[in-house]
Amino acid sequence: MEFMPQMQMHQPTSVEDAVSLHGAAPDGRYLAGGSDLLVNIRRGIEQPDSLVYVNNIPEMRAITETSDQITIGGAVTLRELSGNSAVAEHFAAVAQAAGEVAGPSHREYGTVGGNLCLDTRCVFYNQSEWWRAANNYCLKYRGEICHVAPGGKKCFAAFSGDVAPALLLFDAEVEIAGPDGRRRMPLADLYRNDGMDHLTLRPGELLVAIHVAKLTTSISSAPIASAYAKSRIRGSIDFPLAGVAVAMAVAGGKITDLRIALTGVSPLPFLAKGMDDFIGREGDETCLEEIRDKIRTQAKAMKTTTTPPHYRRRVAGALAQKLAASIF
Amino acid sequence: MKTVLSLSVNGTTRDDVIPDNMLLVDYLRENIGLTGTKVGCDGGECGACTVLINDRPRHSCLTLAVTCQGARIETVDGLSRDNRLSALQRGFDEKLGAQCGFCTPGMIMASEALLRANPKPDEAAIRNALAANICRCTGYVKIIEAVQFAAEIANEIADEALAS
Amino acid sequence: MSTSEQDIIPVQSIGVPKPLVDGPEKTTGKAMFAADFQSIEALVGRILRSPHAHANIIRIDTSKAEALPGVKAVVTEADCSDSYGVLPIAMNEWALARGRVRYRGEPVAAVAAINVATAQAALDLIEVTYEELPAYFTAADARADDALDLHQEKPGNIEREVDFDLGDVDQGMAAADLIREVDVRCAEVCQVQMEPHAAYAEYDPGRERLTIRPSTQVPFYVHKMLSRTMGMADSHIRVIKPHIGGGFGSRTETLQSDLIAGLLARKARGTVRVVLSREETFITHRGRPESHIKMKVGMKADGTITATDFSVVQRGGAYSGYGIVTILYAGSMIFGLYDISSVRFKGFRVLTNTPPCGAFRGHGTVKTRFAFEGLIDDMATELGLDPFAVRRANLLVAPTMTENDLLVNSYGLDQCLDWAEAASAWKVRKGKMGPNKGLGMACSHYISGASKPKHWTGEPHATIHLRVDWDASITLLTGAAEIGQGSSTVMAQCVAETLGVDMSRIRVIASDSAVTPKDNGSYSSRVTFMVGNASIDAAQNLKATLVAAAARKLEIAPEDVECLGEVFRGGQQDQGLSFDEVVMEALKGEGTITVKGTYDTIPESWGGKKYRGAAIGGTMAFSYAAQVVEVTVDPYTAEITVDKVWVAHDCGRALNPLAVEGQVQGSVWMGMGQAMSEETQYHEGLLLHANMLDYRVPTIIESPPIEVGIIEANDPHGPFGAKEAGEGSLSSFLPALTNAVADAMGVRATDLPLTPDKLLELLEKKARDIKASGRAA
Ligand SMILES: Cc1cc2nc3c(=O)[nH]c(=O)nc-3n(C[C@H](O)[C@H](O)[C@H](O)COP(=O)(O)OP(=O)(O)OC[C@H]3O[C@@H](n4cnc5c(N)ncnc54)[C@H](O)[C@@H]3O)c2cc1C
Ligand code: SF4
Ligand code: FES
Ligand code: FES
Repeated sequence: MEFMPQMQMHQPTSVEDAVSLHGAAPDGRYLAGGSDLLVNIRRGIEQPDSLVYVNNIPEMRAITETSDQITIGGAVTLRELSGNSAVAEHFAAVAQAAGEVAGPSHREYGTVGGNLCLDTRCVFYNQSEWWRAANNYCLKYRGEICHVAPGGKKCFAAFSGDVAPALLLFDAEVEIAGPDGRRRMPLADLYRNDGMDHLTLRPGELLVAIHVAKLTTSISSAPIASAYAKSRIRGSIDFPLAGVAVAMAVAGGKITDLRIALTGVSPLPFLAKGMDDFIGREGDETCLEEIRDKIRTQAKAMKTTTTPPHYRRRVAGALAQKLAASIF
Repeated sequence: MKTVLSLSVNGTTRDDVIPDNMLLVDYLRENIGLTGTKVGCDGGECGACTVLINDRPRHSCLTLAVTCQGARIETVDGLSRDNRLSALQRGFDEKLGAQCGFCTPGMIMASEALLRANPKPDEAAIRNALAANICRCTGYVKIIEAVQFAAEIANEIADEALAS
Repeated sequence: MSTSEQDIIPVQSIGVPKPLVDGPEKTTGKAMFAADFQSIEALVGRILRSPHAHANIIRIDTSKAEALPGVKAVVTEADCSDSYGVLPIAMNEWALARGRVRYRGEPVAAVAAINVATAQAALDLIEVTYEELPAYFTAADARADDALDLHQEKPGNIEREVDFDLGDVDQGMAAADLIREVDVRCAEVCQVQMEPHAAYAEYDPGRERLTIRPSTQVPFYVHKMLSRTMGMADSHIRVIKPHIGGGFGSRTETLQSDLIAGLLARKARGTVRVVLSREETFITHRGRPESHIKMKVGMKADGTITATDFSVVQRGGAYSGYGIVTILYAGSMIFGLYDISSVRFKGFRVLTNTPPCGAFRGHGTVKTRFAFEGLIDDMATELGLDPFAVRRANLLVAPTMTENDLLVNSYGLDQCLDWAEAASAWKVRKGKMGPNKGLGMACSHYISGASKPKHWTGEPHATIHLRVDWDASITLLTGAAEIGQGSSTVMAQCVAETLGVDMSRIRVIASDSAVTPKDNGSYSSRVTFMVGNASIDAAQNLKATLVAAAARKLEIAPEDVECLGEVFRGGQQDQGLSFDEVVMEALKGEGTITVKGTYDTIPESWGGKKYRGAAIGGTMAFSYAAQVVEVTVDPYTAEITVDKVWVAHDCGRALNPLAVEGQVQGSVWMGMGQAMSEETQYHEGLLLHANMLDYRVPTIIESPPIEVGIIEANDPHGPFGAKEAGEGSLSSFLPALTNAVADAMGVRATDLPLTPDKLLELLEKKARDIKASGRAA
């Protein structure tokens, strides 16, 4: 029998009810698949007094396609997302990333909303209450110091969701519902570079859906090519040590558009800078190595995993190089 | 913070009053005595607790029982029909897919979900379906053979059941 | 009963693929593991663990916890009568720490309460005052001159220093054409059997008796340690082994959780269930120690090994456990695989403030084998020899005694080599694999049980009882612990084969101290050999009884009775008696038939006296293995994919080929985890890996196909010629992998696990070296 704190469960069927039920609880959380939240509750790093279950809200369970965009409900499961043919056609990297999250059983109930709102991770944080107490806790939760960078006051816990970087490639927008109604913002604005508080959601806000406009290359109407790859020690289950999403358009042997986004190497997923410099370049070995080096310098992994950060930085570059080479 | 949970477990409908914070695995093992489902880790890492909810595999250790309102739950305890081992139960037995047997309930349920959706899986499909289930004894070789064998005999067993 | 046309033949049970006798229980969910026992009155047992790595316990105040409603018992060291341990000479652990804690997570107190929430709350109310002491997390720190001793009786934090110098190493080195050295580091690894540790203890307050169901491989040792810790008479304790979710050595010694369950049940005067979390199961550890090996080998140009000189330092953790045995094995097991005579060894087992290490599958042999097989592979390359040729240049010829007096009576390594070479198409593929692909091979061996038991009492090594009653079924009573390895099936097979009856006649009842004969337990691959032989002996005794009864009934002389398993007759013309009829006859005047079978090892197998501890390694028979591993390396990420493994294992007669394959595949695969992804890591003695995400047991995705070749170099003393099958092929995976990576990428890995970060560093270093030498030229 597992130790579980006392909590109350709400199971609303509309976004509005969900938001108001959440608003009524002093310390509530949205519960989707629970594949992250319940682990954290069991470890005592989350202690909500009530949970608002979002998977019974029809609006959040659907993927809808129009001629120029696709809308993904926040409670769509990763299996549904990875298996959706429209998503696979237009946003290959998104489908691939969703299919690389955790293991197959997790993807059955883990949702895209939960994946985007995943807590940041660190070996000093994702441990039991006994463990963290024995280690005097840390900045991110209940403690005074950071064990990764003991001198500083910043938390480097890494955002380790696989899907966010793939969506960032396509300038995805998220639709948020909160006590003050609904709003939309670029997915990139959902995150901030702070491992302790990496989400910009205000209290009680719910991620209802993701909207992604279909992108085409400048010269043809074909969807822009994209791909996702993650580094991990095992072939399944593991979070990304580094995750890389690449979208690239090539015309006449030259790069016409290049975007690369990273996850797993810092407190937020982000689009790499300076990729426009490669526009007009041929995809030769030197170009690919330059892409690699440019990604490497931006992947500032810290010692938040048992695998050394040195490797995570290098492998981020290597994966970018490998994916870019595969798209050429 | 208690709720009446109405659901079907292994084909039997039931109503139980349970606390909101109760995990499905504890409901199954402790409340209704179905100890076939195992706990191998502290949450989501091993797959030993895999059960079927409406035909799909799920970690019962990361599922709150109250969210299973109205659901159809199946566990390894209920797979044998008419006192006959299911195709997978026979496969894991006869092909030695089970050594110590601790991962077996989860393995069998994850495989059951696979075979229901894909009765003739190739090896890659089997590997992908079992990729959240850890086994420490077999090296997985015989687990793959067990699922392949089960897929082959599944029809046979269905015929026998009809005949009897 | 017609016998005329088609003659009756006894049923064959040996050498036939057989599902496990307890298979259906496991696939239907009916198998009961320790945590599956429940009753309405069972209390929840929880353990308070030390947050400190090394500290004196100044005071423990349990009064507030005891006062909490719903708390039925709180126990501390004050409730323990004595220390415990596994080796009679090194019992320095307490079920609950006494006076001092020596690693983070060591149990300090425990509670039994009506539910989890109350138990948890009670733990929080226990006040412990500690005085922190300096702590040592590496062998080097613990050995430093000014280091404080963890245990008074172990000065310098040396659990045991061992050495031997056999043959003439200096002369051997002088005679060598090539001498090379290697410096190897292997991380600590953990068994991670799928079932977390658990125990279900029932105390009968009226009779002051304890019944316990612990998740153990060694019910007898648990029994002994319970009586010692609890100050109870052995006869007042009953240990029943439930189904066990794997062990691999983690449960070959009594664990604190077993003892704590007993202590709590007695104090609560009721029933207590202790189920550890995965984190606590990791903290309990008993895995393979981190080891640092330095090895030097001398070789002739033709591959003959002339001398070996090596040292091993093991970080043993905070208590003795099996430590002395592990460090002795690390030395002695260099012998027995090849014909080598001149060997010098120095070993140090060091005590540190980390969880105690134990006996992990392949006990003591794995890391030494890794160092040796990698080194001789490199030397072969340097000498222009094929890796198979180097091994063939050093084969033993059985029967023989090794330089350290280990008996080798049967030897199938040559056949293993032939099989692995042919199956992998080595000759045509080696060297032609294309970029980033490689083939590597290596050999290994293991004992079939230690010939000298740890607790020498003069009893036989194994005892089996068979019982036959009016229903004519045969009940086999054994103390041997079935833990998923298939031991109960092997025993049933041995009995069925000896009698010629169908296995369905036999019911195995294993490991209930009130019912079954004592057995030392399931470790060091002893069960098939020793208990198998005892089973045969018992079956022969039963057969004699039945033959005598048949003779009486048929009115012929016993020697004229033909026993065909299901039929006993006087000759082909005789219609004969059925098994059931013979049993009825045998029961007349005697009642229920009970017979016994025993087994004893022979003194020649007990190991020599050439150095202190030389008996560790002595065995009745060695298994042998050779394997080829094929890899592909991703040149971008340095990730290694194992494409395929071909492994030949000489297990003597394969009693159950299906189970042998399963055991060999499991061993090879476990070697793979240790070679590629598994390691424990600590932050100031706190486990960073105490979950199954950070401790990376391979998933099905990266696990390769493993093709098994069964080699049957029968052992004259083995049951039907059988030897062990469950451990010997583990250790050769590690060097076969790094040899394959060397073949693919031209780099030698000496630091395990070979995770991609380490391989990338090796590849980058190689690229830098090439660049530098290019510039220099
Ligand atoms: C063993 C294991 C391995 C894993 N490996 C990976 C991996 O490789 N890659 C990876 O990306 N993840 C991994 N995960 C984490 C997790 O399974 C996935 O990220 C999953 O997508 C989370 O979704 P969920 O619905 O289960 O989220 P939940 O656990 O339900 O929620 C996660 C967080 O998001 C919040 N939330 C959920 N939905 C919403 C919403 N609509 N609006 C606002 N907030 C919301 C919750 O309050 C909670 O804080 C792993 C988990 C486990 C247990
Ligand atoms: S990075 Fe530092 S503050 Fe953040 S979780 Fe890790 S140890 Fe804590
Ligand atoms: S018990 Fe391990 S995944 Fe549920
Ligand atoms: S059979 Fe033991 S864990 Fe799979």
